[in-house]
Amino acid sequence: MSLTKHKADTIQSRNSSKLTTKDITTVAMMVAIIEACKVVLAGIPNVEVTTFWIILFTLYFKKRILFVIPVFVLIEGAMYGFGLWWIMYLYNWPLLAFITWLFRKMNSAISWSILSGIFGLLYGALCSIPYFIIGTISEGIESGFASGFAWWIAGIPFDLIHGIANFVLMFVLYHPVNNVLTKYNPH
Amino acid sequence: MNKKKIIGIVAFILLIAALVGAYIAFRPSATAGDKSITIEVVNSSQETTSYDIDTDAEFLRQAMEETDGLEFSGSESEYGMMLSTVNGETADYEKDGAYWSIMVNGEYGNYGIDQQPVADGDVYQLIYTK
Repeated sequence: MSLTKHKADTIQSRNSSKLTTKDITTVAMMVAIIEACKVVLAGIPNVEVTTFWIILFTLYFKKRILFVIPVFVLIEGAMYGFGLWWIMYLYNWPLLAFITWLFRKMNSAISWSILSGIFGLLYGALCSIPYFIIGTISEGIESGFASGFAWWIAGIPFDLIHGIANFVLMFVLYHPVNNVLTKYNPH
Repeated sequence: MNKKKIIGIVAFILLIAALVGAYIAFRPSATAGDKSITIEVVNSSQETTSYDIDTDAEFLRQAMEETDGLEFSGSESEYGMMLSTVNGETADYEKDGAYWSIMVNGEYGNYGIDQQPVADGDVYQLIYTK
């Protein structure tokens, strides 16, 4: 190997941590897929494939998910307004990506279905955190608990739909999408 | 199926059962029978219109529907109706951050009008908030 070639390889290696045009395009594609699916399923309350895509994209595109989630959350805010629900998006989806990363060694449909389902079941509890904080700030911690708890309880029927739908969707979609992503694995 | 997966499925089912149990134990409970309540509408000019009604309604929406002179509309969501217009005044959150907040006996309500239980003697306020 010539010295020049070696130097070029070293520079390329150093730059590998930076985003390439292909990376940016891949991020855009991931966000577009999540948004398109979200719009298609908007008519069915609490049935979504955002959880599914974030899990799969975290598994296959690894650190690029760190760009996908902020872009997705920002677009959601721009489209639907930066309400309280938007604050929930700021921590719910990064949390899902982090949990996925922790369990990244899992490779069965049933395991990911369980994780996806549990995330759906607990989604309302996670979303009640801002209500707890607002209640606590305005009228003390007791009021914060009462407010967050009441909000969580009222939404439990929807959490049940969310959790069960997440489980079923992951179970049905995991293998077909997993096969495609494995075939075109960027790594 | 290995042991971890079985534990996972059992945990998932137990979590569903726990949520169902929590909902049954703590869900907003409505009382049947005749109740006397007050509904107040506070518009953007801070003008209050008050309605005293007797109702058998268990939830606020039905009581509002029974109230003569009170007109309201909104979009149906997974949590029931999201109020947008009350007595001809529209709160457009996307335009200027305005919305109709619901107060129950002077405190912020935790439910929408479809889920808010009606109790005898309660005062419900629909307040244009921005």
